[in-house]
Amino acid sequence: MSLFSDVVERLRALAFRRQDERDLDNELRFHLEMEAEEMRRKGIAPQEIRRRTVLALGGVDRTKEEVRDATGVRWLSDAWDDARFALRVLRQRPTFTVTAVLTLALGIGGTTAVFSAVDAVLIKPLPYGQPGRLVRLYYVDTRRKIDGSFVTPVHYLAYRDGLKSFESLAALNTYGESGGDITGDEGRGARRIHVLYVSRDYFDVLRSPLAAGRPFDAQDEVSGRAIVLSDALWRDRFHRDASAMGRTLTMNGVPYVITGVMQPGFTDPVVIGGAVDAWIPIDLAPGRIPSNVDNHYMTVIGRLRPGVTITAAQAELDALGVRLSAEYPHTKTVGAVLKPLKEDVVGESSRALQLMLAAAFAVLLLVCVNVANLLLVRGSERGREFALRGALGAGETRIVRQLLMESLVLALAGDVAGLVVAQLAMRGIVALGGGSIPRLTALSLDPRILGFSILISSVCAIACGLVPAMRAGRSDPNETLRGGGGESRSSTDGRSHARLRSLLVVAQVALAFVLVAGAGLLIASVRRLRELDLGIRAENVLTFELHLPEARYDSTARARTYEEVAHRLEAIPGVSAAGGVSKLPATGQYNIWGAEALSGPLAGTKSADVPAENRVVSGDYFKAVGIQIVSGRAFNAGDVPSAPRRVIVSQSLAKRIYPGVDPIGQTISAGDATCLIVGVANDVSVDAEGRAEDFVYHPHAQFAGDRNWALAQVVAATTSPEAIEADVRRVVTATDPELVMHHPMSLAEAIGRGEGQRTFTLRLLASFAAMSLGLAALGLFGVLSYGVKLRSREIAIRVALGAEARAIRRMVLRQGMSMTGIGMVIGLVGALAASRLMASLLFRVSPVDPRILASAACCLFVVGGLAAYLPASRASSVDPRTALQ
Amino acid sequence: MTVDEDRGGELVQGTLEMLVLKTLALEPMHGWGIAHRIEAMSGRVFLVTQGSLYPALVRMKRRGWISSSWQTTANNRRARYYALTAAGERQLSEQRAAWQRATSAVSAILGARTVPVNA
Repeated sequence: MSLFSDVVERLRALAFRRQDERDLDNELRFHLEMEAEEMRRKGIAPQEIRRRTVLALGGVDRTKEEVRDATGVRWLSDAWDDARFALRVLRQRPTFTVTAVLTLALGIGGTTAVFSAVDAVLIKPLPYGQPGRLVRLYYVDTRRKIDGSFVTPVHYLAYRDGLKSFESLAALNTYGESGGDITGDEGRGARRIHVLYVSRDYFDVLRSPLAAGRPFDAQDEVSGRAIVLSDALWRDRFHRDASAMGRTLTMNGVPYVITGVMQPGFTDPVVIGGAVDAWIPIDLAPGRIPSNVDNHYMTVIGRLRPGVTITAAQAELDALGVRLSAEYPHTKTVGAVLKPLKEDVVGESSRALQLMLAAAFAVLLLVCVNVANLLLVRGSERGREFALRGALGAGETRIVRQLLMESLVLALAGDVAGLVVAQLAMRGIVALGGGSIPRLTALSLDPRILGFSILISSVCAIACGLVPAMRAGRSDPNETLRGGGGESRSSTDGRSHARLRSLLVVAQVALAFVLVAGAGLLIASVRRLRELDLGIRAENVLTFELHLPEARYDSTARARTYEEVAHRLEAIPGVSAAGGVSKLPATGQYNIWGAEALSGPLAGTKSADVPAENRVVSGDYFKAVGIQIVSGRAFNAGDVPSAPRRVIVSQSLAKRIYPGVDPIGQTISAGDATCLIVGVANDVSVDAEGRAEDFVYHPHAQFAGDRNWALAQVVAATTSPEAIEADVRRVVTATDPELVMHHPMSLAEAIGRGEGQRTFTLRLLASFAAMSLGLAALGLFGVLSYGVKLRSREIAIRVALGAEARAIRRMVLRQGMSMTGIGMVIGLVGALAASRLMASLLFRVSPVDPRILASAACCLFVVGGLAAYLPASRASSVDPRTALQ
Repeated sequence: MTVDEDRGGELVQGTLEMLVLKTLALEPMHGWGIAHRIEAMSGRVFLVTQGSLYPALVRMKRRGWISSSWQTTANNRRARYYALTAAGERQLSEQRAAWQRATSAVSAILGARTVPVNA
């Protein structure tokens, strides 16, 4: 037998089924006609011929059946018929079908999206060659209790030259200003691009060769005006023109020579979101101010030599640290630690994602439970139908096959809808979390994960669809058809099914409780955060970045311009105050230069030197963000470069280093200068979580020579930030047409960005909680309604015997509430177990906060009550006259 | 099953296929013709019914032993004609050899008069 001809013939038979049927008809008709002719020839009487032909015709259908069996595609064509029948059946029950498909879609889509996100962020290796050897190097300081921060250029160079454990070690500046205004090129308007300052080792460390041109060299690090473009910038600005190499690009008024173009799709590991438009060499020229031994601003990443462990590299690093502290005695508490780069990149977001994963898995479970429930109920309802079909001659396998097909069609529809949901959910996840969760922007639908979710839910749908089919096949049609249909009241089968369904509902309630409690804890955390007094007034404050290009603005011009901009902005009607600052309040740490009292009772002692945040401010910054000057004065026009250096300190710093004396008029060392304290400001939190730090504020007019500070501008409006934005933009352009107002947003929004991860988690968890609540309600509703239907005779007897409608209603409600109650008790245990997972995401809320757990319980009771109410009222309206007939 | 027990003809399973192959080896033929030929050639011992003939034809076609095409009969009527393929010819000679081996073995047993001596 030739396998090939067999397969071809079977496929042909399948494809031309209709044609084949017609051919077979013709062939058999021809056969009968020939038979009749033959009989005529033999002289058989016409009546006899007709009799025999009619007899033979009776056999035609059987012949056809046997021929169809012989084609070898019988099962397939049957499956096709089953599928069409299944579609018809499913269409007849749109509520059931839509509910089941939507439930499946939510489960499949939700889990696929979240699993994909977890995979993209946590599991996938970093997209560089041999990523396991990449590490990040952190500065630690035992005295200042700083355990993971930026490295000084002096230390970086010492590490780069002295460490043998590393193949290469690169420094990046992710800390300071990262924007550049490119102007004038080919007559196109100014545009802000994201620039990353990197040392020449950067591309080696990441094993990412340039697509064209050359990487930076030692010369570039000293005098570099070189620039490497991203593929996207090269495309946008130069249309991928190879002749762009060697041409100049003007950025911040300074010409840079284009030396290379990066590979398309390259992303930086440290920058969140990974998108960088251009790389320029980091300034490693010796002796420059930013290169001093106290200036911590470098992010250092390195590639270990093959075979060198992180422990070995750490030991070498520690040994080098000892030698360095001999060279720079006042940095002897400075050290460094190594951390695998991926762990560093993923870092804190892993908790949020693990939580998501747990929630998504819970929802998938809920979905499976619900689909199981729906199918079980539906299967029981159809007991009569199966019995009838059995009585009409359908075999057990035939009925089972039919039901299997129905479940398959249902699962398939759910899968397709799930794919759509997954795509939407992933877009939502990236939109919500792309700015706060690293690597999330690389999210793409993972076919393995999609397959996994589809498999789980389909297996569940099919398995649950089959249970009633098996029972239908076994049941005695006679019995079922005579009885009330569905599960017969006396059947133990029916009772065990009812128990199974109740158990499933209890499980759903438990899972929903865990999710709702989790969402409640996060909501409480976010509310606590919002209520937090950060020491500033963030309402109605517009902020934006303003960068003065070095080429046209020297330090004198910068000092003057920032003050001038503030004055002009204050002239806008509806603006109460305006100023600038080197780092917006409550948005994180910045220049932790420290401060030392040079006068007062502690002067000269160890406790006079403390860590402190330093800020550079312009205009009327304090008034603009609502920081009170509690004593002394704010900066004014008299604080010019020629005047003695002046600072304002925070209240807590004043108390700490000038205990018992008036801080005004004391001298302090901060920001590499000896300064006079002219004022004391109230305390401001360093981040959105209310962390208290000591602050020293320097007037920009006196500090402009230190570096080109790109001050964030703050403008306090009497109405709303949006109302003044257009006027502010006009003022900026009027000051200098080439200046750009970057990233305008409200101060509240800028502060909220630091909370991106928490908000992201909250929103996702809240949507999961809402989903689970809905699913649990649906499950409870389904089971109770079905129970009422099943017990309608019993209820009718009760009513006939005098039970009041209220008592009947209470009976069903009690059943629903007890399932909810049991589920919640189990859920409470689950919530307590899950609290460990939540702890790091919570803010000033105990993971077992009784009020929140109680609220979650209330929420579930209300939803459970609503879900139970409909079936309960239906039960109370059972009419004994119809039900008992 | 091609059985007409009244006339004492019982066909071993698979024999029909061999007979169909043999018939088609003479010339391509339509279904009724095949049945008619087998009946005639067997001296009306074998009656071939539709119910066994057509499924057998479908099976044989699937195995690649025969091919089919719609043609016009001598009386100008459309009929599906079956023809032997090369594989079918091989199959026929194999089946014929097997059949002959089997029948001669059976007749040897039926014709035995003495118990063969053990070697």
